[in-house]
Order: sequence, then C-alpha cells, then structure tokens
Amino acid sequence: MRESILIFAFFITTISSVSGQGLGSPGTLQDDGRFAASTKQMNQFFRRFNGEESIDGTSRFYPGDSLYQNENLRKGFVSILFDNQTSSISSSLKSEFLSTLLSPNYPQYLVFQKPGWLAEVDAVFLYKGKRENVTFIMKIQPEGLGYEWVIDQVIFAPFKNLFNKPTGASKDFLHPLSHELGFMNMRRAFQDSESPESFTPTTYNPDYLAIFLYEMKQNNLKFETVLGLKFHFFQIGGWYFEVNQFNRPGYNTGWLISNLMRLGPGDKETLMRYIYDQD
Amino acid sequence: MKNYIVFFLVIFLATTSVAFSQDNISPKRKQAIDSLALEKVKDLSKYISIIGNKETQFSEANRVMDRAEELFATGAEMGVSSINTNEIAYYKVRRYFERLMALNYDKVNITWYDIQYVSDLERQPDGRYVGVITVYQRFEGTSIETGMNYKDTTKKDITIYVEKKQTQIAGRTIEFWDVMLGDVRVTETSA
Repeated sequence: MRESILIFAFFITTISSVSGQGLGSPGTLQDDGRFAASTKQMNQFFRRFNGEESIDGTSRFYPGDSLYQNENLRKGFVSILFDNQTSSISSSLKSEFLSTLLSPNYPQYLVFQKPGWLAEVDAVFLYKGKRENVTFIMKIQPEGLGYEWVIDQVIFAPFKNLFNKPTGASKDFLHPLSHELGFMNMRRAFQDSESPESFTPTTYNPDYLAIFLYEMKQNNLKFETVLGLKFHFFQIGGWYFEVNQFNRPGYNTGWLISNLMRLGPGDKETLMRYIYDQD
Repeated sequence: MKNYIVFFLVIFLATTSVAFSQDNISPKRKQAIDSLALEKVKDLSKYISIIGNKETQFSEANRVMDRAEELFATGAEMGVSSINTNEIAYYKVRRYFERLMALNYDKVNITWYDIQYVSDLERQPDGRYVGVITVYQRFEGTSIETGMNYKDTTKKDITIYVEKKQTQIAGRTIEFWDVMLGDVRVTETSA
C-alpha cells in the first residue's frame, strides 16, 4: 500500500508539471494536475489498466514501443484506478489483484472488443404517462465492418410485477387429463385467471426485452433521459470488478474501480444472474 | 472547410507509407487524424467563446454559429448535466449555441484548460471510425445589476467521426480522411 502511495505521489507530481498543450487560444487555463490525473474516459481506463499510454496521457503506446504494457507503468496506473475515497476495498485484496494482473507467466489485460464486460445504463422513460426508471444491460458485439453496443437485457419494475407466478397450493393449473376434454378448460387460464403465467413451465422466464420493445412499438414507452452508467468486468480470470464515474474535487476522480471481488467456483454465474435479474 | 482538406492532404501525403487500400489506421495515421480532430475542437472552442461573449454583435454571433454548426455531423446533439442533477438535457447543436448567446449576464468569459484527451478510434458497423475527445471549459458570467457572479467548469466529451473520402485533383482520385464532430456530452465538474 505504501508503495502505491509513493507511486501515486510520483504520478501526481509528474502530471502536475506537464506543460500545457492547450486548445491554443490565449488565456488558456493551466490544469493543476487534477484533470490530468482524472481517468477521463473508459478508453483511458483501458489504456491505464493495460499500461498503454504515457503518464500524462498525451502519448499512446503501441506494440513495439519500449513502454508498451510496461510492468512498472501498469503498477503505478492500476494503483490509482481504485476509488480510494468511498469504496472499502482492502489493500490486501488490491495487492492480490495486482499480482494476478502482473503475473510474470500470465499477465492479464483488458480488451475492448472482447466479451466479458457489460455496461449498466440507468434511464428514465414515460410509461403510461408516468416517469419510470429503466435499467439496460448492454454489451459490445461485432456488426458489419465494426462493433456496436446492443441491449442484452432490460430491467423494468412494472414488467417484473406482471409476472409473479404463484407457487404451491395457490397456483392454478390445467389438470393432467385436460387433453381428454380437448383443453376446453383453457378458459380457466385465459379468461378466469389473473395469473396466466401459472400455466407456464417451471423453467419459464419472461423475455422482458421483447415486452419492452413491443411496448415501445405500441408507443406506450417514451424515452426521457439517461441518469447514470456503470460497468461490470469479468475479463480478468478469477476476478470481478465494477467501474463507476466519480465526479468530485481532488485527484482520485473519473472512471474508477468501486468494487472488487475474487471469484470462486459458481460466483461468476451468481453475479451475472444478479446483474441481469437484479434479484 | 477547404483549408482542412488541404491541411490534411499535406499530412496524409506525408504518411503514405501505408497502402491506400488498407482500411486499418496505423499509429502514424492516427496521429495525423488526431491533429485534424483537435483542430476542429479548437475551432469549436474558439466559436463557443465568441458566441458566449456579450461584446459579440448579434449578426457576427449568427455567422459564427453557422461556422460552428458546419463542424458537426447532421443531427448532432449536446447532452448537458449539472452537479445537482444527473439527468441529461438534450439540445440540438444550434439550440445550444442560441441558449449560450441568450444567457442573461452582462459579461461572460469562457476559457479552456490546457488539457485534452483523445481516445482510440473504434470502427462502427458502417465502416466509419468513431472516437471521443475530452476537453475542459471554464465559464464565468457576471450580472452587473444583481452583482451575481456564476462560475462553473464543464467537461466536454466530443464525438468525432472519421471517414475515408475521395476527391478529384487534376483528374486524379485522391483519398483522404475527413473528421466531423458528433454528439457532445457536457458534464459539470466539481472542480
């Protein structure tokens, strides 16, 4: 930890003294190092995490450059990529994580185009005249000549409440000899029951995204605004971390790791279920 | 606009070590594209300062708004949020400039920080490349009558679209990379 503080101090001293490259107009304000220190874009988060840019962020390193993915550079960068003010990630966990990343035999990096990272977008929609929060889980996919972000799941409370499938004795059912009656008792499922989902298989999961798209096409949902964004990363083997944006005074700002977990067997699946279902 | 093309053609022809047919952007070419994109962002920042300046004549401000609008791809929007609310308010680029011009201060001073960050370029499905340039702006507005002095610092994340285009020069087809600005995310910072 002490080492990372020293690296951080070095980092800040260095970027504070970087001469301005400014927007060129007279009267350009000099950054005191805070904006330089801030992880301003997710792109910068990736580059810093991988050790692929200079300390001041003005030079991008490419394969073949002497400092490209340099271990010491990465060590310094990763130590400042944690939210050190509000998140309670222990120093020992951070060190363990750093050791995994910098393993001499199998160093690990983040790759923008590869699966294993998700965006969680909080938005506001008008639904039947009422403002409602909607959460989208987004992922990057190859498409055409490049890549695109696509909606992988939508989490929308009004839909969730629609499908409260009863269990046990209170659950309606079509008795096992219904076929002998030509399913005439279907009337029970589609006319009398308030929970038609009772008549679906145990494995049935509603496709909320399909319903959401249908409601949009019916003009029942109208986009209002975006409220927030965070990212979930599973690209580093055996680890999960969350990245949030911190807009506050000081040097520890921008896109930073706010949550770090070591993953045991089955943990990834549990976390994915949590992210996708918000259970 | 012509100046940009000439400027970039010079850089482009100086870096023709990469074959024309190759669509991948080499680091050297990326640097050239970054320079062109930053020139456009500098122009935008200059235009914003002029439009916001209370001493700028109405007709002049309108002329500058026209120039500023030309930097942007069709339909580009500004998404603005403040410290108090994370909600993004959307404005068409022209509307954003008009609001800036109409701000009710006697004196407005817009300055820019000496820092910018240029992202990598990623290819989108239609083959164009997209990137983001981040800059920081300081705004100061003073009202003489009320003595009110408002200050804020905003982070501007500016989308850039990079596209390979063709032009005819002396009967020869020359390919060049053009840069257009796109949506801009404006976030008030705590600085």
